Amino acid sequence: MRLGMFFREALRSIRANAAISVAATVTALIAVFILGAFIPSFMYVRSAVDAQTAKVDVDVYIADTATVPQVNSLREKLDGLRTDGTVAAVTYVSKEDALRIMKERLRDPSVLDELPSNPLPAKFNVKPSEAENADVIVAAVKDDPALDPTEGIVYPETTADRLLTAAKFVQWAGFALIGILLLAAVLLIGNTIRLSIFARRREVEVMRLVGATNWFIRWPFMIEGVICGLVGAIVAVAMLWGIKVGVVDAWASGADSALTKTGSAAGTIAFPLLTIVLVGAGALLGAVGSGITLRRFLKV
Amino acid sequence: MSDGQDTGRPEFTLVQVADPPSSDEEMAPMFTAPVSDGKRHKNDIFRPGPGPMVEFRGVTKTYDGGARGLDGVSLRIGTGEFVFLVGPSGSGKSTFIRLIIRELRATTGEVVVGGRDLATLRRSKVPYLRRAIGCVFQDFRLLPDRTAAENVAYALQVTGHSQKEVRRRVPEILSLVGLDGKFDRLPRELSGGEQQRVSIARALVNHPRLLIADEPTGNLDPDTSLGIMDLLQRINRTGTTVLVATHDQHTVDRMQMRVIALDQGRVVRDEESAGYHDVTGEVLA
Repeated sequence: MRLGMFFREALRSIRANAAISVAATVTALIAVFILGAFIPSFMYVRSAVDAQTAKVDVDVYIADTATVPQVNSLREKLDGLRTDGTVAAVTYVSKEDALRIMKERLRDPSVLDELPSNPLPAKFNVKPSEAENADVIVAAVKDDPALDPTEGIVYPETTADRLLTAAKFVQWAGFALIGILLLAAVLLIGNTIRLSIFARRREVEVMRLVGATNWFIRWPFMIEGVICGLVGAIVAVAMLWGIKVGVVDAWASGADSALTKTGSAAGTIAFPLLTIVLVGAGALLGAVGSGITLRRFLKV
Repeated sequence: MSDGQDTGRPEFTLVQVADPPSSDEEMAPMFTAPVSDGKRHKNDIFRPGPGPMVEFRGVTKTYDGGARGLDGVSLRIGTGEFVFLVGPSGSGKSTFIRLIIRELRATTGEVVVGGRDLATLRRSKVPYLRRAIGCVFQDFRLLPDRTAAENVAYALQVTGHSQKEVRRRVPEILSLVGLDGKFDRLPRELSGGEQQRVSIARALVNHPRLLIADEPTGNLDPDTSLGIMDLLQRINRTGTTVLVATHDQHTVDRMQMRVIALDQGRVVRDEESAGYHDVTGEVLA
């Protein structure tokens, strides 16, 4: 009912203090733009890290002396892990396969011809469904009698750990950065609203004089902050859209084949969802920024 | 929201109009048709009753730093009175007024307005107190980017009146104070006297039972001042209690109303039907 009037008052104030309102809008624009550039990048990095850690696999080496029943019981154990979802895939690599793979990798395969016999053990190559599951797999089979006594179980423990640490770091650094950005935006919008209150202090005095309640005085300022936040967010989204279409999409279509080849299907947030998040963030920035300022500077 | 103008308050019936050439019929609607939307009582700050409009009981106001604004003031202003508050600058006139609208709180003593002890009035109720009191100032305090009509309308919007109500009452009250044909002027396009009329219209539009004017003619030439004082007197005749703080010796002498003189925060004189100076001829201003 009164919303229309508060809205008119807010627009009147924006017009009257055009310079200040533009400053607030640009502040919101910058904050939302950086946020909007950061969220997809951050999610892309995370998703890439996830894709990398997903490639961690565990090699379970089989002793040459292991009997067929022992090997079968080991395979059953690993299959059991696959049924409960810990393991994504189990592949058997025989001694001959192992030697052939080795030969393929060596620059000069002829050195292997010198060997009197095949020294490479057979193995199960186990792909965990999640990088973190590697430990579970190791724990499940580490005392198995079929294990090769020298090689045992080999998995890139350090690589996995390092990637997981990196992923966590990226995550926390991202949260911290976003937090700092939002705080800066809130303070800047708050400051703008403070200037607006200061520019209109006479008006506020008159409002009090004629018996306006606190919230009656506050609403227009609040709406003013939200409008600045919203307009800034919308312009930022438009700019981000331009950059996405003009730069990122072009780059991604070129890079797509390369990405598919390495098997790292890193994805990121969908643009419509990002738009909703950013516009919401803009409105919230405006509301919180002006809200905090009003609490501090508009006491009746 | 409410400005509460029923609870036993005298109906407006006007009036002889001295200065703006407008007829009684033009004025009648504003006063005889008080708004009744059924919600009037909810935030009515004033307690009904026969008591005085304003009562000070041993009121002292000491500012931070020790300066005394008022020093042990006790007095009563009855409902429907017209009172001049006189005294030199720094005598406590402004402190007196600011205590009534609770811009300040008394250090000791009681300030009772419309039966309400302002010391116990909750902060959230202060806006409703101010709606029941109309205020007029030397510097008019109009919103510079709004027309005369919009300035008056603002006071109505604050009290939650509908657009329809606003469109009906604003022209009435502006005509009443003699501003026909100037509704859409901005304050800077109006003379000082006209601006003060806008500010009086704004103070009146919510039917206050107490009208306070702080140096209303301080920025105006003598002829214009006379017109403003006549307007205030006409408002008083409708039953509104009027308190005017002034330096305007000429006006006070001419009107012969109750005069309360303050000096250094104390009441030095309180006389019915008096002039600016006391009988001994001592100059107070």
